[in-house]
Amino acid sequence: MTMRNGLAGLILLLAFWQASALALSGRHLIAGPAEVAQWTAAHAGLLSRALAVTGGNAAAGFVLGNLAAVALAGLALLWPRLTGLVSGLALVVFCLPLVATGPILRVMMGPGDGPQIALAALAVYYTTLIPLLAGLRAVPAAWLDLIHVYGRGRMAELRHVRLRAALPYLVAGLQISAPAAFLGALVGEFTGAERGMGVLTIRFTRALDVPALWSIAALAAAVPVAAYALIGALAHRFLDETPPVLLAPPGTARRSRRAAPVSALAVIATVLGAWWAGMRLAGLSPFFAKRPGDVLAALIWAPDAAEARQTLAGALAQTGAHVLPGYAAGLAAGAGLAVLLALLPALSALVTPLAIALRAIPIVTTAPLIVLLVGRGAAGVVVLVAVMVFFPTFVACQHGLRQAPGQILDVFRTYAAGRWRQMIHVRIPAMLPALFASARMSVPAAVLAVTVVEWLATGGGIGGLMALSASVSDYDMLWSSVVLVTLISWLGHAAVGAAERRVLTLYAPEQVRP
Amino acid sequence: MTHSPLTRRRLLQGGTAGLALGLSGLSPHAARAQEAVALQLSWLHSVQFAGSYIALQNGWWREAGLDVSLLQGGPNAPVEPPVVAGTALVGISAADYAAAAVAQGAPFRIIGVAMQKNPFAIASLPGNPVETPADLPGKSIGMAIANTPVLQALCRLNGVDFDAIRIVPTQYTAQPLVAAEVDCLLCWETDLPVAMAIQGIEARTMLMADHGYALHSQTYIATEDSLARRRDALVALMAGEARGWETCRADSDAAAELTVAMFPDAGLDLPTQKLQARRQLPLMFSDLTERHGFGWWSDEAVEANIRTLALLGREVTPALWDRSILEAVHA
Repeated sequence: MTMRNGLAGLILLLAFWQASALALSGRHLIAGPAEVAQWTAAHAGLLSRALAVTGGNAAAGFVLGNLAAVALAGLALLWPRLTGLVSGLALVVFCLPLVATGPILRVMMGPGDGPQIALAALAVYYTTLIPLLAGLRAVPAAWLDLIHVYGRGRMAELRHVRLRAALPYLVAGLQISAPAAFLGALVGEFTGAERGMGVLTIRFTRALDVPALWSIAALAAAVPVAAYALIGALAHRFLDETPPVLLAPPGTARRSRRAAPVSALAVIATVLGAWWAGMRLAGLSPFFAKRPGDVLAALIWAPDAAEARQTLAGALAQTGAHVLPGYAAGLAAGAGLAVLLALLPALSALVTPLAIALRAIPIVTTAPLIVLLVGRGAAGVVVLVAVMVFFPTFVACQHGLRQAPGQILDVFRTYAAGRWRQMIHVRIPAMLPALFASARMSVPAAVLAVTVVEWLATGGGIGGLMALSASVSDYDMLWSSVVLVTLISWLGHAAVGAAERRVLTLYAPEQVRP
Repeated sequence: MTHSPLTRRRLLQGGTAGLALGLSGLSPHAARAQEAVALQLSWLHSVQFAGSYIALQNGWWREAGLDVSLLQGGPNAPVEPPVVAGTALVGISAADYAAAAVAQGAPFRIIGVAMQKNPFAIASLPGNPVETPADLPGKSIGMAIANTPVLQALCRLNGVDFDAIRIVPTQYTAQPLVAAEVDCLLCWETDLPVAMAIQGIEARTMLMADHGYALHSQTYIATEDSLARRRDALVALMAGEARGWETCRADSDAAAELTVAMFPDAGLDLPTQKLQARRQLPLMFSDLTERHGFGWWSDEAVEANIRTLALLGREVTPALWDRSILEAVHA
């Protein structure tokens, strides 16, 4: 059933694609599926070699990033006091804009595949770590009691209970990782890689070779979708439970009012210390590898600090004007469509597989296409951010709607309450935890989207400022931008988390109970 | 410097042999001590750097004791940091980027100028052409916002009202011009107009260098430290570049073929590369290079560059240019 619906959705997509290509022919915008297939067949060798390079780097990054996530989760499990620090640091690193980390990695790692693999690893470890941490804790207390009654220790607890409970969560994290790793490898190629799909994208964009561009885009979309589906299928085959969709419940062990700021301070101090020491140990040139002191000086007491602050504020305001509407629209559209499809189940069967597939398409592929279609102004950026937020939100909300307790729905049905009433009073409240979890995880995703688009396509805002600063060697400005973007991403994540806690206390107290 | 002009066939034979050696990882001069150096390119591999490929594949650097690796650039690969860090001995930059880096404390000198004439051009369609800067007011121009100072400088140099031009931020592609979303594009003479020509779209280009925009491009930069301590390597590297580019000039089609053969995975198209080479060479060679050799510059050119840089907001002195390496190369 799902298979057939997926196929129907695919055919619909192809038809829409071909029709758009015909409608816009002559504008060098869209190549239709027929033309793309022809180009792909004629250049199969070139494409398969490029795909092997990018796919290989993505796979290496996927393995390394996920191993790092498992190791970090293990660390947090062995020393539970470190959990806050580990996840806090992991979030900070995840919030780093790929656009700026790329060239720095290139200088440190030299020619070769290093930066592509590192960026792929950086793009995946967080989305695996967080579900894994949740999964290792998502254990009924009675099971642990049973282990203890038998006089067994923590290793037995880990082996017999926690690891099994965490497996579905791990699989869900791996599923999301596959497309993210591909994106990381593509962005890494923009820092001077010799070959790969990203290199070809740059080449064909400039050459105005539209069939080539769409062929690459189609492949770069199909491979992550296939990887996503493959991991899902493997999980379905070997696991009894389906992977959870709600991946990031808010911190279960509720911290006291005083503990939260202390933990945040520990994270900040560790980041600054590691930054400073790392630069010292690697012996990086202060020309481009700025230290914490340089950034503070550039922003606070340097002679041109006021000017720098003004430039940054202007760029951030411009980016904010793009990212906030896009973020809000993506959340609203994701939740809205999920609700709509719950009311119209027939449509849902057609749209859902398509949405799950589209979620896996890397933004580097979609960005130029959406900007071409919607325009280069604010609209293009807003739409892209919205798309980036929309898919995970839609999938999470759909899952959330299904969590509505059956008995309560039965009560409503007994009283002949209509679909709308059930929706408003039962299903939507049941969806809230999923919506908020998605809203929180979407903050870094939205920031990633906006910086990549501004850098690749529109040139304004903080992404454009970072690209410009790098090109004119203004590394004080580049590092200041990186610090601010990371900080804002981190604070945004924390703010959504705080709002989430308040709402869930009301609507889903089981999620936040200590 | 004199050498027998290579025929196309010999050049390609040399290229293919070098390619085979490169693949097998062996070097006929392995016994001789080779100094490993890197040249950081400013963009993806293409005929834009054909001179370097010719020097590499014919073993001219190897003969001079240099084991040169060519580091590819890209949209997110700044040239200056690897040169400062010493990963690359020489980088290919432009006078404005070099001046900006020097202002940030990078100890750079320009030791050679590949593009005597700046490649920035304004491309338009024949039905609505931009032939001179005076045609610009009232038109919309697609360009990267980051290049605003370039357009401002052109307007100042030609007494054109900058505020009467409508800037449309675009990606670096000819699509907005082809789709008539903009009247003209700020681009390089050697890339987007070439792409349009290959797609069968005739474009007009107005080279900014012909309207007072004097700015050295594709300049070779090295650090003061390298100039003091690795002079022999710099001379050998630049000698190979000069010989490679003279060979490229003698037969640009063969250079394009070599480029495509060397980088089969780069998605290069032979007709595009041939046309690009033909459009690029006139920017690189002039009466001046005829008299003094590849990469040379005159004091007047430096003065003109300093004036253009001042319009771009960069204050530099003639000391940014250091001719001592070229003097040794062409001695």
